[in-house]
Amino acid sequence: MSSHGPRMTRALLGWGALALVGALSGCVEAVPQDVIEAVENIDRDLMELRAAEFSPNDYSKFAHQWMALKTRVQADEDLIHWPWEPNDLEIALRQLQEEGSHTVTRLTQERESLRRSAEDKIARVEDRFRIMTLQVSAIDSRLVLGQKPVETDLLMKQAHAFYEQGQYDRALDASERAAQNLATQAAVLNQELGRYANRDRITRWQQIAKETVAWSRTHQTSAIVISKADRELTLYRSGKKVVSYPVRLGFNGIREKRYQGDGATPEGRYRISSKRGQGQTQFYRALALDYPNGDDRRKYHLGRKTGQIPALRAIGGQIEIHGVENELMAQTLGCVMLENSYMALLYDRVEKGTPVTIVGALHEQNSVALTLAMLGVQREET
Amino acid sequence: MDGRLSILPVACALLALTACAKPPTEQIEAADKAVKEAQASGASTYTPDEYAKIEGTLAALKKEETEQEGKLALFRDYGKVEQLAMTAKTEAERIKTEATKKKEEAKAAALQAQQVAQEAVKATLELVAKAPAGKDRAGLESIKADAEALKASLNQVQMAIDTADYPAAQTKAKAIHEKSSAVSQEIEAALAKIGKGKPSAGRKK
Repeated sequence: MSSHGPRMTRALLGWGALALVGALSGCVEAVPQDVIEAVENIDRDLMELRAAEFSPNDYSKFAHQWMALKTRVQADEDLIHWPWEPNDLEIALRQLQEEGSHTVTRLTQERESLRRSAEDKIARVEDRFRIMTLQVSAIDSRLVLGQKPVETDLLMKQAHAFYEQGQYDRALDASERAAQNLATQAAVLNQELGRYANRDRITRWQQIAKETVAWSRTHQTSAIVISKADRELTLYRSGKKVVSYPVRLGFNGIREKRYQGDGATPEGRYRISSKRGQGQTQFYRALALDYPNGDDRRKYHLGRKTGQIPALRAIGGQIEIHGVENELMAQTLGCVMLENSYMALLYDRVEKGTPVTIVGALHEQNSVALTLAMLGVQREET
Repeated sequence: MDGRLSILPVACALLALTACAKPPTEQIEAADKAVKEAQASGASTYTPDEYAKIEGTLAALKKEETEQEGKLALFRDYGKVEQLAMTAKTEAERIKTEATKKKEEAKAAALQAQQVAQEAVKATLELVAKAPAGKDRAGLESIKADAEALKASLNQVQMAIDTADYPAAQTKAKAIHEKSSAVSQEIEAALAKIGKGKPSAGRKK
């Protein structure tokens, strides 16, 4: 009887302890599955946002926390806790869910903002590029820009492609570089053609044109004034304007002629050195000018001295006012070209020795100056 | 007295066993190495999500190791560290394979696009060379400048390939191809026009 007492007590205590553990473990909760799924969904959202690519720090922070908690979720011991103890793991997961959710919202907003910026920038630069192309084409100054227009075009194509790929930062970068390229083009145009907007230069051009007309009046004979900016040839007789004809210039005609083969049409005071009728020229009829004159030679030698003209380049010659050889030909190599019907009329009204004054522009508001001003405004806006 | 004596050897054996718990240095080093190799293979670029997670796992492993080291030797348990090291290593190796594959695919696509662009530019330059010399070539001068610009821009594709920025190389090459095709069409149209007129003799201008 005495040996049964303690055994019973031990047995009762054992069963009691087991019952207590059973009761307590019945209260233990694993981390609710919905919390884990919510964090997994946030991870999925972040991956869809390509957070690791576009916001690596944010994603790295989330991934580090998520992996640390996932490790604990997978370790069984962390899933058991006393009912009076707070479920740290669940709290941490809920916190990560909340933080992750904010990150998703913030990154979504940032991505959308970046997308809009890229879209806006691309549209603005593209618009400016289109306008510049049209304006440059209208004043025949495409060649002044060299390789720049193609570089801009390529950058805009890249900007579009990056945008389509969702790489908005790269799209922005490419369009920004395209905008800089356009600014460079505007600067090049200003440098090369700025004289068309230079009041002193225009005054000088107006002066030599006036002197040519005065000469025609004094000598009661013909004289020709050609404005490159207006693409116009005007015939004067005894100081009075007789007629104006539209003309085409060299393929680089808007520039100041510097050497042979540059495609530029010279500016200055010339005279008709010979008349070439049918059979004497391939261009219907031609009026040869005495280019290069003394001024041209001085400028050429100065250019050679200063290295602005390459050593192997000659000064050029055989500048003419002529008709059209091929109706489809848009430009010359540096001459002044008229429609054959106009050429026929002009040819009969001038003679050897007739002065021909070629100027850049006769008005301050000429097409080139207006284009340069417009490009300057656009540059400020982009 | 007899009971206490019988517990002693068990306690000693337990102490001896737990005192031997050491961090699984080799496994940790292997995991570290595998993650570094994954990064070197371009995982942070080509599989960035997974790479970030593997870095997270590695960080969790290091934290766990530090926590265990902070405990009394008797209570140290590196089982979790071992498990994490194994997971990190296996995952890093998988990611490395995947990133290498993706990188190779991107490289192949970039090289393919580069070749297509080179051929397009070559065709454009050949078309420019076909243009007649002399006066009738004047209208083609701007197109010639375009073709030269395209030729020069091929260098940018090569530079992107050299820096392993294959997506950029591919995008640049595609833009060149597209532009080159447009310029070629322009030249063909110009040549068709010019073909109607007779060629001129070379003249001073």
